[in-house]
Amino acid sequence: MRIKYDSMRIRFAVRISLSVSFLLRRLGLGEGATLPGRILLGIAPNAINELSEGLRVILVSGTNAKTTTTALAKAGLQARYSVVSNVTGANMREGIAFSLAQRSSRHSGDEIGLFEVDESYLPSIGQALSPKVVALLNLSRDQLDRVSETRMTSIKWRNYLAGSPNISVVANCDDPLIVFSAEKASDVIWVAAGLNFKFDARSCPNCGAEIRFSADDWLCDCGFRRPDPRISLVQNFVEIDDRRIELDMQLPGRCNVANAAVALGVCLQAGVDLEDAAVRMSKVDEVAGRYRRISITGHQVRMLLTKNPAGWLEVFDMIGADRSVVVGINSRIADGKDPSWLWDVPFEMLKGKEVIASGERAYDLSVRLRYAGIDHRLAKDPLEAVGLCSHGEVSFVGNYTSFQDLRRMIEGNDTKFLPQLRQLVGRFSQ
Amino acid sequence: MSEGCRVISVFPELLGTYGDSGNTVILAKRLELRGFKVDFVEINPGVHIPSDGDFYLIGGGEDGPQARASDLLAIESPLSRAIDRGAAIFAVCAGFQILGNSFPASNGRKLSGLGLFRVETHRHLGPRSVGELLVSPLQELHLPILSGYENHQSVTEVLANGSPLGTVLVGKGNNFGSDPKVDGAIEGKAIGTYMHGPAFARNPKLCDLVISSVVGPIPEIEDIELTRSHQLLYQDRLNAAQAVKRRT
Repeated sequence: MRIKYDSMRIRFAVRISLSVSFLLRRLGLGEGATLPGRILLGIAPNAINELSEGLRVILVSGTNAKTTTTALAKAGLQARYSVVSNVTGANMREGIAFSLAQRSSRHSGDEIGLFEVDESYLPSIGQALSPKVVALLNLSRDQLDRVSETRMTSIKWRNYLAGSPNISVVANCDDPLIVFSAEKASDVIWVAAGLNFKFDARSCPNCGAEIRFSADDWLCDCGFRRPDPRISLVQNFVEIDDRRIELDMQLPGRCNVANAAVALGVCLQAGVDLEDAAVRMSKVDEVAGRYRRISITGHQVRMLLTKNPAGWLEVFDMIGADRSVVVGINSRIADGKDPSWLWDVPFEMLKGKEVIASGERAYDLSVRLRYAGIDHRLAKDPLEAVGLCSHGEVSFVGNYTSFQDLRRMIEGNDTKFLPQLRQLVGRFSQ
Repeated sequence: MSEGCRVISVFPELLGTYGDSGNTVILAKRLELRGFKVDFVEINPGVHIPSDGDFYLIGGGEDGPQARASDLLAIESPLSRAIDRGAAIFAVCAGFQILGNSFPASNGRKLSGLGLFRVETHRHLGPRSVGELLVSPLQELHLPILSGYENHQSVTEVLANGSPLGTVLVGKGNNFGSDPKVDGAIEGKAIGTYMHGPAFARNPKLCDLVISSVVGPIPEIEDIELTRSHQLLYQDRLNAAQAVKRRT
């Protein structure tokens, strides 16, 4: 680390936060990123600027698929760079500060800082980190009690990118809100990454009239329309300019091929060999505990995380042939406190599956499932819910904290162990 | 044989941000469970809005789409004509606001509403009203306490000759004037409120009130599991709202 006016203070803050993180993880109190990050910023408020000096930064933001796309981009970028990243999903200021604290003090010039950023924080974190590349995925309704409505976010991004001429953008041209955010940027690679959930994109962000969608195009009468993509998907291939790159993904679902296409756009901006990057991305089979299949009480459980209607549309595709489905819904701050969005999910698609409603908001889910004509049972505790399943192959689909609850339980560092302390840490981490 | 009912979901693509489409699903199903044949119509921009519906449901959404929906509903005023024909309207949040006399655009400019409710919605510079909402409804409605989740910026003034839906027990509701605050408005068979959740998922009796305002007295629903699911959710949300009250 460089000698600076306040380098002592930063060093001290980094030591403390790393120790706290180590302790938290040993005690099974979470990923150990947010609270240590908060301590770090408390002692050294300037830590993000200081610790990122000399680092080439790439940011990934959007409502859905931030963590997965960041993990895929990380795999690809490692073809050429050493990458410091926040793939645990701690994507606000604290999490990013802590990722920087973990950065080795002896690093070569070929280092990239790759961070997923909460959509509300993109402009402010961008200002602190001066990224070279920003990847924008999608914008749709999510946690409306905390995050602004999607249109407001889109306008904030647009202003930020219009005023930052040194940023190269990689953006999804199938989402009108993303195009509105990115179109004033000086350099954009458009990726046809798809948009299954169109409800938040129907009214034109430019003029308010209705956008007309066709199979792979959209336009508005005001002239606002889909830009031509430089990167697009053809089955399991990604087409970039005149090249075709195969993606034989381990991760399930079509949306993960699209996520990889965006990640390849990031690699293109960073000058990485794309064939090499694609092979590395294909091998990713787990992202922060998501997608993997694990054994719980004799069941083979596929762990899926989704937190809003747009995400759910992709998840039905991943549940596939699993005959039992446990759905876990919580409503803590990280989930959004209002699960009304459950009514925007076509749960009718679970017909024929054995369904267990779980989580702290299992009752909201239960009413929703009744009206979808889906018979189900209730078990608030997700582990108990998995135990109720009569089939061996189970998909567990949880929103953020419900997923993390089950993950902790199965990783063995729950639940009899210090639940009150965990609650306390949780409160300070929010 | 059974009677038919027309249920009209008004602009779910513009005003469907907060899950209020659930109200439509619930209303349609509860009609069917009473033996009515439901003709369900979803109206989106560009489509003629029929005035021969029995039930019109409008939800919450963002400022731009809200102004757009209001403009479209002003053309040939189909909702006023439907009310004159005896239809019921249930409107939530942004949908409620556009049915009043006026509401603010995102730039603060005052826009004319449809004037079905004698209310005016004003721009509010204070904190957004977000959280559990508990409302004691007007006594003559014979309803239990109502539960919802509110999430809005503006405040709504009920004018001297208008009537609110009820008195706020927890939360902000219309958030206009001094305490006790009121929520929503009621005008004949038209009900407006700030309750998301969706409102009918948490308050099936409110849904049944809207139904019986058009079709007359209806029997209790025989689906025990459905009723039980509603009861569990209702009790859970009452407890949550009480916890909010204790904290504040």
